[in-house]
Amino acid sequence: MENLNRRKFLQVSAAAGALVISAPSISFAQSANSDRYRNLDTNLGFYLKIDADNTVTIGYSVPDDGTGVSTALPMLVAEELDVDFDAVGVEKLPPLYKENDGSNPRGGDDPYINQTYKGRSIHQSTGGSQAIRQSYEMLRQAGAEARALLMKAASEQLGVSMSDLNTENGYVLIGSKKLSYGSLAAKAADVKLDFEPKLKTPDEYKIIGTDQGQKVAQDVATGEQKYCSDMELPGMLSAVIARCPYIDGLVKSYDDTEALKVPGVRHIIRVNRIPEDLSQQKYIADGVAVIADNYWAALKGREALEIEWDKGRWSHVDNAWIDDNFNKLVESGKTNIRLEHGDFDKAYADADKTLEVAYDQPYWAHATMETPCGLVDVQSDKVIVYAGNQTVVRVMNDLMDVLPGYSHDQFDVTIMRIGSGFGRKFIVDAVTEAAICSKAVGKPVKVIWTREDDLEQDFYNPKGRHVFRGGLDKDGKLVAANYLHCSTDNDFATHAFPAHHVPNYRGEVINSKVLPSGPWRGPTENVAGYAMQSFVDEMAHLAGICPLKYRLDMFRETGDTPHPGFSSDIMVAERFINVLTMAAKNAGWGKELPEGHGMGVASFMTFGGYAACVVEVKVDSDGTLTIINACGAADPGIAINPQGCRAQIESGTLDGFSAALGQAIAIEGGRVVNNNFDSYEMARIGASPHQFTAEVARNTITPKGLGEMSLPPAIPALCNAIYDACGVRIRKLPIADQLEKAMKG
Amino acid sequence: MVKFTVNGKAHIFNGDEEMPLLWYLRDNAKLTGTKFGCGIAQCGACTVHIGGAAQRSCSVPMAAVEGEEITTIEGLAGAERLHAVQRAWIDEDVAQCGFCQSGQIMAVASFLKDYPTPTDDEIDENHTNLCRCASYARMRKAIHTAARYLRGEM
Repeated sequence: MENLNRRKFLQVSAAAGALVISAPSISFAQSANSDRYRNLDTNLGFYLKIDADNTVTIGYSVPDDGTGVSTALPMLVAEELDVDFDAVGVEKLPPLYKENDGSNPRGGDDPYINQTYKGRSIHQSTGGSQAIRQSYEMLRQAGAEARALLMKAASEQLGVSMSDLNTENGYVLIGSKKLSYGSLAAKAADVKLDFEPKLKTPDEYKIIGTDQGQKVAQDVATGEQKYCSDMELPGMLSAVIARCPYIDGLVKSYDDTEALKVPGVRHIIRVNRIPEDLSQQKYIADGVAVIADNYWAALKGREALEIEWDKGRWSHVDNAWIDDNFNKLVESGKTNIRLEHGDFDKAYADADKTLEVAYDQPYWAHATMETPCGLVDVQSDKVIVYAGNQTVVRVMNDLMDVLPGYSHDQFDVTIMRIGSGFGRKFIVDAVTEAAICSKAVGKPVKVIWTREDDLEQDFYNPKGRHVFRGGLDKDGKLVAANYLHCSTDNDFATHAFPAHHVPNYRGEVINSKVLPSGPWRGPTENVAGYAMQSFVDEMAHLAGICPLKYRLDMFRETGDTPHPGFSSDIMVAERFINVLTMAAKNAGWGKELPEGHGMGVASFMTFGGYAACVVEVKVDSDGTLTIINACGAADPGIAINPQGCRAQIESGTLDGFSAALGQAIAIEGGRVVNNNFDSYEMARIGASPHQFTAEVARNTITPKGLGEMSLPPAIPALCNAIYDACGVRIRKLPIADQLEKAMKG
Repeated sequence: MVKFTVNGKAHIFNGDEEMPLLWYLRDNAKLTGTKFGCGIAQCGACTVHIGGAAQRSCSVPMAAVEGEEITTIEGLAGAERLHAVQRAWIDEDVAQCGFCQSGQIMAVASFLKDYPTPTDDEIDENHTNLCRCASYARMRKAIHTAARYLRGEM
């Protein structure tokens, strides 16, 4: 029976005298059929296609939003499979999901969860910097099994012992003879392994640890690469939706008379807020959808709509109101203590020198380069979906909420390359809106958000105030610290440095929700890095000790510390010391700097990955800031694709600079008012330093990730450098024109 | 009626002449390499060449393209396999998500005509396209690499 199943998935045909084999077809099937979600254990592997001409295509299960998983994940398979990676093609696998049988403890109440392969969940989500760490072992094992099957096939075909065989770059070697994988693939799919193939040790790696360019580089450079917003279906309409711009507001009434007169406008429908309960964070905004023959007509139709909004309960809110509310929350003292050891109050009272300081940071928007988008065709017997979202199964699970009556095997979901995610595209809102519209009008509907929609309706990184009190002993050691994080969300970096490096410590949090919020590159850590690393820097300066030495001494003295939480359990001092030393060395820490220049350092561990940053800046007498040099270093464990790792270090650092320099959501009268790139300031190439060195640690430690790690230390390194250059301490983000004002004053 | 060429081919448009060129290229001509990013000429994801110069097509109405020669990313290389800027972008492994890169490449191809030997400061002052992934470190290298290709030094 197993062999029959196997054969069912093999496509065998004769072409030009050669046997053309796609094994298995389930990986690359384009039509919706439930078979492709089953029987993943019964062939060369769900990820692999080997043609008779020995063309190897490796499928990847995780959507790529720019972190390079579409290159790095196939490298893991290719390493053990033993193929020439330059010749390997890569292809996004279709969604691989199954009914929730409780096998994934994180599946919760979702109707569908990731398909499993040999009993383990196939990771299909990009986020939390998890793609590599969740796949590192499984994909190497999968590659090793496929190689062993090919060798077994060769041994049976030639009647020789497995021990007489070896492999090299897509061929099985038998003495001086060689057989291509392609010629063996059909037979390999039918043989059985009676042993567990041994995995290579890191010293045997030939592909892992080598610099590889992104496999999509040429398609991107030529404009051939398709994203969700590029997709079309026959008879497709475009929808532009007027969403209530007020936080938790609703449509009171609307007049679509003029909108319906716009040529090309076909339908105007209400889209109701999801969930209905206004006390819960919005998922779908209350609004009115204009559905037209093309995008431009829909946009013009929306402009012609007249809508009266119910402004809801937040119409008095602006940023000053939230700041004032933070004051009240801090004064209330009604905090939740997350971590406490020693006796902070006594140690602070007894300290030789003390500092009380607060750091403010605003809401940030994701502003993904491709705005949220979805294309859905709800037919009577099936649902065709194109999406560019970060979690594959969530697309279908969320759609099933608005499409009751459809079962999973009626869904044909294609996840496209994502036009950047940063956490925003966990949320399937635009796709859900497309489904609502398509269901209402009976045609395929594509929803593309305008940039204004995107910045007004985001799930923002929370706004926060970080209040510190620190006390030094007479030797300048940090002996007392209290960190109070006042936030618009429930986030706290409980175990981050220096929580366990200070003998008397209290970490506490208090929060009050305003705007909808969600994960944004390095959630929690992105702002905790700024606050905690600025605080440590201030304490080093108060102690009169070199800020780099101050940190290194604390790591050396305390050693490893507990870090229970997402993706980590311990913080290894040596790895921090290593990345700090790398960044400092590359930047020439300690060298004589020209007048007006300054250097700053910071480090942070995010989701088990260690990163450090050293920045050199120049601040002119009029306050003009120039970032001269940035040196980022990171240790994610073994670097699968060092070139890809360096890309994440570079971009994480520059993304941090962009957030620090200008980004801040402006709220007036209960709505976001800076809703495009003329008013929401993001850095261009002109803000990026002319010198940049990214270095990734070389080791063989089981990998974590690198997508988020370099942002949290970049912001405080920049702020600390500014202080070193001109004595102005950045205690409020964005930096904006603070330096100009300070230098004038 | 508006007559113009796109990548050397004649096009005629009879619709709403207020419609930006971007949506003609994407929805009518099915040339989706040109991307929508902001709609107000701030990000440059929609950059094309009109008469050889970079323009942000989201803010160019169809009425303005009468008689113009338009080049999109799909036509940039012409008869070559790849334009020098495209080659440099691949060499330096610039792209992350890639969504803005058509526009970046079109803008740089135009910029290098005016600045064949650009300094970093000239890049900073003149290249204003947004990359949300902040791939600027590699982009800077790739601009210099492309300039060397175009000068025949590589």
